[in-house]
Amino acid sequence: MTDTYKDSLAPNATPEEREFEFRSHIGSIWTGGRLAIGVATFMYASLAFAYFYLRSSNNSHLWRIPGQLAPLYYGWTILICMLLMAGLGMYGHSRLRKGFTNDFQVAGWTGVALGVIALIFQVWELVVLPFYPGSSGYASTFVAFVVMNIMTIVFATYWLETAVARSLRMRKELGGTKPELSSAHTARSFRANVSSMSYYLGYVGIISIGFFLMFYVQ
Amino acid sequence: MTISAERPTETAAGTTAPTGPRGVSWTNRPGWMSQHLGTALVLAFLGYLLGHWWGNHIAGNYAYINGASGQNSVADFLALLLMVVGWLVGIGALNYPIAKLFGREAVEEEPAKGLSRYFRYTLDHKVVGMQYVVGVLLFMFTGGLLAMAIRTELLNPTVHIFNPGTYIEIVSEHGTIMMMMATSIIVGPLGNYLVPLMIGSRRMAFPRIEAFSFWIFSAGYMVIFSALFFGGFPTGWTGYAPLQNQAGPGMISYLFGFAVIGMGMIAAGFNIAVTIVNYRAPGMTWSRVPMFVWSILATASLLTLATPVLFSAGLFGILDHVVLTSLYVNEHGGSSYLWENLFWFFGHPEVYIMALPGFGIVAEIVPVFTRKPLFAYKVAAAGMMGVALLSFFVWQHHLFQSGINPDMRPLFMLTTELISIPTGFIYLVGMGSLYKSKMRLEIPMLFSLALYFNFLIGGITGVFLSDVPVNVTVHGSFFVLSHFHYTIMGGLLFAFMAGLYYWLPKMTGYMMNKKLGLWHFWTMFIFFNLTFFPMFIIGLLGQPRRVFEYAHNLQGLNDFSSISAFCLGASFLLFFWNLMYSMIINPQKAPANPWDSLGLEWQTANPVPLYNFERIPVIVTEPYRYSEPGAPAYADFGGGGSGSGSSSSVSSSVEE
Repeated sequence: MTDTYKDSLAPNATPEEREFEFRSHIGSIWTGGRLAIGVATFMYASLAFAYFYLRSSNNSHLWRIPGQLAPLYYGWTILICMLLMAGLGMYGHSRLRKGFTNDFQVAGWTGVALGVIALIFQVWELVVLPFYPGSSGYASTFVAFVVMNIMTIVFATYWLETAVARSLRMRKELGGTKPELSSAHTARSFRANVSSMSYYLGYVGIISIGFFLMFYVQ
Repeated sequence: MTISAERPTETAAGTTAPTGPRGVSWTNRPGWMSQHLGTALVLAFLGYLLGHWWGNHIAGNYAYINGASGQNSVADFLALLLMVVGWLVGIGALNYPIAKLFGREAVEEEPAKGLSRYFRYTLDHKVVGMQYVVGVLLFMFTGGLLAMAIRTELLNPTVHIFNPGTYIEIVSEHGTIMMMMATSIIVGPLGNYLVPLMIGSRRMAFPRIEAFSFWIFSAGYMVIFSALFFGGFPTGWTGYAPLQNQAGPGMISYLFGFAVIGMGMIAAGFNIAVTIVNYRAPGMTWSRVPMFVWSILATASLLTLATPVLFSAGLFGILDHVVLTSLYVNEHGGSSYLWENLFWFFGHPEVYIMALPGFGIVAEIVPVFTRKPLFAYKVAAAGMMGVALLSFFVWQHHLFQSGINPDMRPLFMLTTELISIPTGFIYLVGMGSLYKSKMRLEIPMLFSLALYFNFLIGGITGVFLSDVPVNVTVHGSFFVLSHFHYTIMGGLLFAFMAGLYYWLPKMTGYMMNKKLGLWHFWTMFIFFNLTFFPMFIIGLLGQPRRVFEYAHNLQGLNDFSSISAFCLGASFLLFFWNLMYSMIINPQKAPANPWDSLGLEWQTANPVPLYNFERIPVIVTEPYRYSEPGAPAYADFGGGGSGSGSSSSVSSSVEE
């Protein structure tokens, strides 16, 4: 999610200062990526809290109307797309670390396509819901989950897409088509960004499984 | 870490913008084509109209959405949503995120010069800090006017200026504006401006996220303020369901405003936390970090982790209004207590989001004006982080009277009392630093001392309130109101004023007028106490909050409180006058280091260069060695200085 790295902003920086600022920059990407996971965790935790709180309260015996369930085919499709996107993102990162930029790009674009498919299905699912949003606690938390999941899919797909799009423009700095690792600052910064992204995608995969079990398995 | 102190061979311009790939520039185009506050306002207005039209178009015919009031919640929400989007597009916040989709680089532009840079989306943390100063003062001014309206109404128990509905709208808007302002009042202006300077960094980690935090914060202010035009909201700042679900369209402004400001808080906290962790100057180990930075780190952690829960709570409320889910509706499988839990899971850490930076400021100021090291530095740092951690485990004390399982009360009473231990650490560190010191009673120091006085009252009454029997007795009364005004206003706002008087010479290059400052301090301190102390008594005598009629025998105390409140309001006018007088009418240039501080922020040139430090400083010792003549300077600038000179040693002119 960061800019392409440029050497120190100060025009008269010494080489040592440039190196120091570069290390700070890499550290920021690492910290920022993990903190983004923290932010998402607290957001999803509040949704999980709502789910279990309403489920245990079962006010008016309306936690869930018997037989009420979100469309399973949609749920499976979205889950598979998300897991594949996460897997491809992580695979692409592992290939990029070994210098195979093309593999990263192919995996990345495929992941983006899967993210878009997941997004379409997630939005469309709202149209075909077999229950009214306020019909029960379950129905309400499910709608809230869908909205939150749409935000997550958009964010994850955006991060992946921008990384792949940038890699096309940075082909030269990344080492071209040869399987070699460039030690240029821009390339190292880019790989750090992809590393944080792959962690985030892995996290999204885990979250997707957890909430699939909560909402789609009766 | 070794950084050479030698100057590079190329000539140093100091403030020259870097060169980089060129692209389409929007912010520097002349006139109507550029992106600035004006275009943001225009697009926000158009976005509002478009959203309203769109909402009416897609949902205008659904009777169950329009409801009995005939108000279309979808249209109300979409209007506000597109208003915020228009605002962000207009200011230029979305330029780069969109360009990134095509793999394009950020456009490096020559930073805008002069006053116009304060009306633009900028990546300079110092400009963002100043933007926040103006933003929070505007927030405070609006909330303050509403407070005056409340106290005017309470002058008489039976003769009314407002009707009950209007009164509760004013109370709600006042509370919401003030609480949202207070979350950012120090992190926004002083955190953004000073943290990089105090840690010896040339930049923030994520300057775009930093700028985004300010402009989304401003949008949130407009959204919350817009509630007044939609009939307000009757819930107070806490927005409790089920009243929340029964309220009109103003409630959407409240819920969406919280979500929007929440995004700003997350962005601000995220950027600052990452910056502090990664951009500290070489040699600045955790035991050498200034206490203000510790406090901002603790606060930023809370902002980043607690605020997503507020965002979710707001989102759920919006869904209840707009697509008719029933998350907070008991009759349809939801629960009004769900809101209370989510709200206070954020709401109590928020109290410390407000308190900790205040203590950070005074911990920075006291050593300067006592010429003593900060007493028990490590205890203070541990206290900051301890409070931040424990604040996640106390939220249910807000529900002692409103739904908590009675068996859970002792647990949360205990956790609430526990948090007074690290808070006590921080307080006692201040007392230890003041002990046997020869103080210079400059205005920042006076405000710092006032904080300790006020917070003592607010803190001790807080310990009472954490006990279930007292809590049950005074719940919802003016006693509680007075307690939190003593902690938030008496603590945070006095600290903010201390910080402004202390750091404005650095931020603006001009000294605040001392005579006017003294008048401001004494009137604010005296009338603050005269306003809020009687409210403890009023509360104990049984007057409830948020009700505009009260027992006749309480009129005398209420009138005393109201008149004092008007004088307190006038003291703020003195501050604004001082600000104008000192900055515009009769500006007096500030010395490079007017308080003789050892802090790193005072060692840079005035005005601060674009990249803060010509050389990245190397920290060589602890930050508060004021009482050790001949002690080494805090930072080594490699002999090259930083613009105005190298780091001060402790044998300063003020040393006694």
